[in-house]
Amino acid sequence: MSAETPPIPLEANWRELLPARILIDDTTLRDGEQTAGVVFANDEKVHIARLLAGIGVDQIEAGIPAMGGDEKKAISEIVQLGLPASILAWNRAVVNDVKESIECGVDAVAISISISDIHIQHKLRKSRQWVLDSVKESTEYAKSYGLYVSVNAEDASRADMSYLIQFAQVAKAAGADRVRFCDTVGVLDPFATYERVKKVREEADIDIEMHTHNDFGMATANAIAGVLAGAKYVNTTVNGLGERAGNAVLEEFVMALKYIFGYEMDIKTARFRELCEYVANASNRPIPTWKPITGSNLFVYESEGRAGGVIHDPTTYEIFAPGDVGLLRRFVFGKYSGPSVLRQKLRQYGRDIDEDQIPELVATLREKSIALKRALFDEEVLQEYEDLRRLGVNIWRS
Amino acid sequence: MEILESLQQDIRLVDTTLRDGEQTAGVVFARHEKVRIASLLDEIGVPALEAGYPVLGEQEQECVRAVAELGLNLQVGAFCRARIEDVEAAARCGVSFVVISISTSDIHLQRQFGKPREWALECMSSAVERAKEAGLEFTVSAEDASRTDMGFLKQYYGLATELGAKRLRYCDTLGVDHPFGIYSRIRDLKSSLSLPIELHLHNDFGMATANVMSGLRAGAEGVAVSIAGLGERTGNSSLEEVVMGLKYLYGRDLGIDTTRFREIVEYASVAAARAVPVWKTIVGTNVFAHESGIHVDGVLKDPKNYEVFSPEEVGLERQLVVGKHSGSHTIYYKFKEFGIELSQEDASAILAMAREMAVDLKRALFDKELMYIYRDYEKKKAQKQRLE
Repeated sequence: MSAETPPIPLEANWRELLPARILIDDTTLRDGEQTAGVVFANDEKVHIARLLAGIGVDQIEAGIPAMGGDEKKAISEIVQLGLPASILAWNRAVVNDVKESIECGVDAVAISISISDIHIQHKLRKSRQWVLDSVKESTEYAKSYGLYVSVNAEDASRADMSYLIQFAQVAKAAGADRVRFCDTVGVLDPFATYERVKKVREEADIDIEMHTHNDFGMATANAIAGVLAGAKYVNTTVNGLGERAGNAVLEEFVMALKYIFGYEMDIKTARFRELCEYVANASNRPIPTWKPITGSNLFVYESEGRAGGVIHDPTTYEIFAPGDVGLLRRFVFGKYSGPSVLRQKLRQYGRDIDEDQIPELVATLREKSIALKRALFDEEVLQEYEDLRRLGVNIWRS
Repeated sequence: MEILESLQQDIRLVDTTLRDGEQTAGVVFARHEKVRIASLLDEIGVPALEAGYPVLGEQEQECVRAVAELGLNLQVGAFCRARIEDVEAAARCGVSFVVISISTSDIHLQRQFGKPREWALECMSSAVERAKEAGLEFTVSAEDASRTDMGFLKQYYGLATELGAKRLRYCDTLGVDHPFGIYSRIRDLKSSLSLPIELHLHNDFGMATANVMSGLRAGAEGVAVSIAGLGERTGNSSLEEVVMGLKYLYGRDLGIDTTRFREIVEYASVAAARAVPVWKTIVGTNVFAHESGIHVDGVLKDPKNYEVFSPEEVGLERQLVVGKHSGSHTIYYKFKEFGIELSQEDASAILAMAREMAVDLKRALFDKELMYIYRDYEKKKAQKQRLE
């Protein structure tokens, strides 16, 4: 690939490149739980599955039956809920793994194997042919039980392109319904993703699912590049939970498609914050206040320029409304605040102020914010206001 | 591993932790912190930074002046709206360059300011004239450039070029660009403008870094970054992701001392009162923590199986975590670290006990807990042998 000649049609109407229907296969319960240190209780797994189905996710990757014991119980329990989503279980390309999945009653399986030479030689210590034979055998076995099969090309991003195509062809011939393109170590960028996905989809003539990792911060962008290249399925996680730096983020993907590309999925986004909070608590990983889409700080305005704009017209700085994702809009007074924020705060609490007193109060509040090294609580703003009114002078500046 | 073609052009980073980073709702740096952050950035080789927003007041000006007077190798600049008083405040701080910024999108001009496009051109020109009088180098910035009409954006940048700007800043203020869209826009701008283009991109949809890489692919020469991506709302493209991404994905080494990334991110995060999430890209403590059996097995055989760069390169350490998804290999290696050689049978038995405990505790196990399990297991084994 050359930086000079990207394979994408640049004058395109991007929206038109997207498949007619894009489906989400959420893997919070599998790749999300595989994160070092994260363990969901079975009750939590079941509740997360309910929430995912409730917001309209199409398929839920519920776990790894081959781990046995509790894991199988949780997956069976999720299957028995009869949710309006397909339930998929993850397997290595091993017939015995698939048998364990069948015992859980799932309707779909992921059958996964590494296809890069680096993994085949240094991890599996086998040959390319052995990989093809394994995937063929386990896929045919799963299909003989009528399961829906997603064959996972692990480390596809570092695999030889012609071998990736051959692998996809073998999977298709064995009956696979789709091939999952895994950027296992997160080393692709959107251009490389687009080129590879388009090529394997066209040459092997099979549906593609995106599975991207966030090691260099590009997971969501790469998932989007994949659907622009015609992939119909996307493997996401809530909060981007997943090994190392995590996976493509469910919330980011859905909102980006809607607001950047005008492609609306049938997902109840107003419940994102609720879903994300639950998963954050269950995984013991709080949502950073600055998390894209669902961070509690996203609709909090401090700086005068931004706040002034939003008070005047939210579309100046908001692409979607806070209610669209279950958040609230708030204003806080801090070092970067000015008259607009102050007036808004006083209005919120039903207080009046003379315009000529505003500059003095703004200066006092800014100093206080700097001294405290944080934005002020509303009570502190009101206290300064009361002091100014009562004393007629600014006690802090005298 | 060469998947992506390398980028050839000169690339200049400008760190905005002290300005856009501090502008984050709720974040305030003390003067000592601003000075320390500037020094740390200088020590690792970042070439330029925005030290603050002088028009805010006397205290901010003192901070900016303190940074400017450190005598660092990096270039110290200040941020200004396209207003004369902003430039004058900056000129009093002893900085060597200013960023002069105004919104250029119709949505901002009309709905926020109620002004026509010409007003933006006039404001920018008069602020620029003042900067020239003060002998300051200046970057002209188009806020909300991603939602700006391309014809007007070229006109705005064209005027800035005529007036003597050093570089042009393209802001995706609301993070609404996508990698192919920004590629197309930057390429279009590059085709008619001669000055370097600097990217200042936000992360609202999680694509800031991807958009930076696309903008650079299209020929941009500068990137505004912040430590850990600190910045308004969801923040900016992060210093660590941009530097490591350029190095490992595009073969472009900017000569930054990355081994101090963890230290610097920790310092800035404490100063901003924002913990570093363990899963933070590049510098999170979990990035080199491996739990699942498959991955640990792979990493032990050859780190390249699951690691693109080594933990030491960013000041981290590799950890093998024992939890629900661990395999017997992890147990074997973990105990080898403790100086205990396990048989395959012992490792499998201990694994079963460890998994059960991790599920019960709903977390991974501490090393101590593993040792307790080992002792319990040894006791049971001894009892069994006695009975036999």
